[in-house]
Amino acid sequence: MKKYNTPLIDQLEKGPWPSFVTEMKKAGKNNEMANDAVGHLEKCYTTKMGYWKHGGIVGVLGYGGGIIGRYSELGEEFPGVAHFHTVRLNQPSGFFYTSKALREICDIWDKYGSGLTNMHGSTGDIVLLGTKTDALETIFAEYSSRGWDLGGSGSDLRTPSCCVGPGRCEWSNYDTLDLVYNLTQEFQDELHRPMFSYKFKIKAAGCACDCVASIARSDFSIIGTWKGDILIDQKEVQNYAKKGMNIMSEIVGMCPTQCMSYDGKELKIDNAECSRCMHCISKMTKALRPSGERGATICMGSKAPIVVGSLLSWVIIPFIKLESPYTELKELIRKIWDWWDDNAKPRERIGEVIEMKGMRSFLEAIGVPPMPQQIKEPRKDPFMFYTEADITAYKAKEAEEKKTGKYRF
Amino acid sequence: METAELQEKIFAFCQAAKGKKKLKEKDIIKGVSAEQNVPPDDVKKAMRAMIDVGRLMYSYGGGASSVEIPSEEYLREKGLIK
Repeated sequence: MKKYNTPLIDQLEKGPWPSFVTEMKKAGKNNEMANDAVGHLEKCYTTKMGYWKHGGIVGVLGYGGGIIGRYSELGEEFPGVAHFHTVRLNQPSGFFYTSKALREICDIWDKYGSGLTNMHGSTGDIVLLGTKTDALETIFAEYSSRGWDLGGSGSDLRTPSCCVGPGRCEWSNYDTLDLVYNLTQEFQDELHRPMFSYKFKIKAAGCACDCVASIARSDFSIIGTWKGDILIDQKEVQNYAKKGMNIMSEIVGMCPTQCMSYDGKELKIDNAECSRCMHCISKMTKALRPSGERGATICMGSKAPIVVGSLLSWVIIPFIKLESPYTELKELIRKIWDWWDDNAKPRERIGEVIEMKGMRSFLEAIGVPPMPQQIKEPRKDPFMFYTEADITAYKAKEAEEKKTGKYRF
Repeated sequence: METAELQEKIFAFCQAAKGKKKLKEKDIIKGVSAEQNVPPDDVKKAMRAMIDVGRLMYSYGGGASSVEIPSEEYLREKGLIK
């Protein structure tokens, strides 16, 4: 196997942190593709050029997603990376694996690919880096025969992902694991057959701590919330104070809606003003906990900057109950896709289309009434207009009230 | 309309767009459905059957996916022609 001199990327092995270069070199000892990837990377650093080409027609028969074609312009110099396609495997909900399952993934990948993996990509998939075109169908057959499936890529529903939810976290307001599994099964067609204008990401977080960063990284963010008050154990509040927590500055002062007060003895919360952000609860886990009905808030539209700048998700449904079989949620998603499909240009994410067409027409199309919680910035969201029909009805009502003497200003 | 006949219409629709426009699945469904006056679901099923056997294929470029008539290279790679 060719030995590459790599003074530049060796720098990335120094310091206290784990290094991807070290891992690539380890893989390169047994695998020609990984070895050439090391040399190729050094060349990129030396010349300050990227040599990767991306896209094209690679894939497995019948699927439009899951394989991302990558080629190097330096195929002759580094034959191991001439084809270096990425395979995305649909991860289990909440990233729960057995060590047997992980071995299975890696054994197949060592056999047909570079052995390099990325656990996990930002969409959540298990990303297997580097294989050749002629191995794709075999790889797919090997993984699918063991119950694995490809994830999403291109203009399709990207692999839905979620936080660990009730599997490991007491704050989850709904079963994120079950929901994501259910949505993945329901939307198999949308996941494997690219039919949209661009990508569509669904992420499910059990609470507003949002461990999957759904608010910033998904077109459709499902964030757990509750309807009741925050229950306070005043004795535990005092324990936190005794242990050195500055409740005024760390809790009360950090409350985004300023709905808390503390007089040194008792912590009070004006629950009507609370936005359920989870800050106080996550800081004082023993003293505070949610109560009442549990469900989720649906926010939409976040994305990284490509066509226009980055966006954060925007509240569409303030509260929805999430219980299997999630019929209401699935119907909502389908209505959203229909509207998006009718209005989007190629490569336009749904958040961009909502900004362009207006929240009003979006809400009308998906049959959701305007609600105060949907206002992103006070006095800056003019989407609650009256239609001609509304004005006519209002005038008729006003005339009637004037006639009967019930009219009030 | 018989599925085989509909598939010929779909193929002709894709061929007419070749080199001019990247067609999304929905472009084909809407276009052929309107042109041939057949329900969109029938077009969808017929088109997907064509994709499953390699008569059409998914492609990707510039960040978006499309449906195209496969090249000989693709068909050879999938073992569909020699």
